[in-house]
Amino acid sequence: MTALPFESIIGAWVATGLTLLIFSFLYKDNPLFKLAEHLYVGVSVGYVIVKTYDTVIVHLVVKPIVENGEIALLIPVAIGMLMLTRYVPKAAWMSRYAFAFIVGMGAGLAIPRTVSSFILKQVEDTIRPLLSMAGSDGVTFSMNLLNPDSHLNAIIILLGVSSVLFYFFFSIEHSGVGKAVARTGILFLMISFGAGFGYTVMARMSLLIGRLTDLIEFSDASYGRPTVWLSLLTVGALFLLARRGREQPPDIH
Amino acid sequence: MTFAERMLKIDRRIIFLMIGLCTLLPLLYPVGLPIKVSSEVRGVYDHIESLPERSVFLLSIDFDPASKPELYPQAVALLRHAFRKHLRVVTMTLWVSGTGMADQLVTQVAKEMGKEYGTDYAFLGWSPGGQAVIINMGQDLYSAFPSDYNGKSTKDLPVLDGVRSLKDVGYMVSLGAGRPGVEEWYVFGKDKYKFELGGGCTGVMAPGLYPLLRSGQINGLIGGLRGAAEYENLIGQKGKAVAGMDAQSATHLAIIALVIMCNLFYFSLRQQRG
Repeated sequence: MTALPFESIIGAWVATGLTLLIFSFLYKDNPLFKLAEHLYVGVSVGYVIVKTYDTVIVHLVVKPIVENGEIALLIPVAIGMLMLTRYVPKAAWMSRYAFAFIVGMGAGLAIPRTVSSFILKQVEDTIRPLLSMAGSDGVTFSMNLLNPDSHLNAIIILLGVSSVLFYFFFSIEHSGVGKAVARTGILFLMISFGAGFGYTVMARMSLLIGRLTDLIEFSDASYGRPTVWLSLLTVGALFLLARRGREQPPDIH
Repeated sequence: MTFAERMLKIDRRIIFLMIGLCTLLPLLYPVGLPIKVSSEVRGVYDHIESLPERSVFLLSIDFDPASKPELYPQAVALLRHAFRKHLRVVTMTLWVSGTGMADQLVTQVAKEMGKEYGTDYAFLGWSPGGQAVIINMGQDLYSAFPSDYNGKSTKDLPVLDGVRSLKDVGYMVSLGAGRPGVEEWYVFGKDKYKFELGGGCTGVMAPGLYPLLRSGQINGLIGGLRGAAEYENLIGQKGKAVAGMDAQSATHLAIIALVIMCNLFYFSLRQQRG
């Protein structure tokens, strides 16, 4: 068996340790969890700052201007620099030009594309033929619920969209037939929330599976069994912290 | 205190322990429950299968280590499939926090499949702007990414021969854990520049992307760890996703049982109180 690279072993010990410290929150909130939480935030922010500086400032601004003479890049740089005037109260008004540029460009880009993609395309898909003419066979109607393109599903979608839209229409009282339609809308909404919750549970369990898979892998002798040693250490530390908490009287002001 | 009251006030740590055991035991002793491939995952697989050799396959790794357990196995399975089909694989990310992980992922799978950097695949890295990067790539890929992750000029990469913009891409898949992700690639990419698009996402996001699938705006969707397991099954190379499916089924059963029990205790308590 070939020995693992040193960095893989160190990585396994760090990953195992931090996973166990985060898992210790399941017992109760404690300083070990806080330590791992702060490390996570600090490392993430540090990483993003370094990568952003390297990619944006060095590779996309400084190098093209200095090495390739792309002077035109100074225009977006100047607009970006206006943002920093927020820190100088007397010049803060200048930052509005940068914001205006960003808001204007963002809205101009996003509105037509979003209307086309999420409204027009979805309306087009909702309004489908409820029956189809199939040559000499005359009118056909497919009942297969498992086929997304079936006529039955087209009717269900039409009912769902109409009833949910009616439920959110507050200008008339939901009574009589209106009440029945609004209730149907609630039913569709509940099914949608249920599907969403089911997928959320699946996603959260997947994260747990991912961490446990790694912990099992790192319990191997080739890594030095960090899972075993660090589990014992974490449990021991939690025990000591609990004992110290019992010995110290609560701080009453 | 009645039994129902005691159960409703049970220490939550007992429930954590139960869920933990339901996850851990199937991982240690797998049963190998069957995995049925859904039409949405098959959509992505079939499209990659239909591509001729040396077509350009663009994979956008739009997630960071927080979503690694769900999306990493999807990315590994997709890359293995694309490399096996001898496609030209171009990878990138719109998430700055996922840059290092994406580089490690692509390098590891390419090495395993014996592929050469620059000729068979490339990692363009991250470029700032999110949706603006997609629009920029639609106009001129080299302007969005003048250099790759290693600082080498993208114009000198043989893997990008004949590729000027997104219009020259054979197939594009975004594995997204949020924004920017699959939706942005559709709105600012496919809808404008007309290329084939597939998606992969976390389980939380999947219900929100089904409308795009049904309307044909994306031609396939790999949802969560389950989707990754289906894809691993399709390419016949079982990995971490398939290994986790038994645990996923066991925890789902445990949660269903808990929900039913909780409701039973709640209603019995309500009945007792009149």
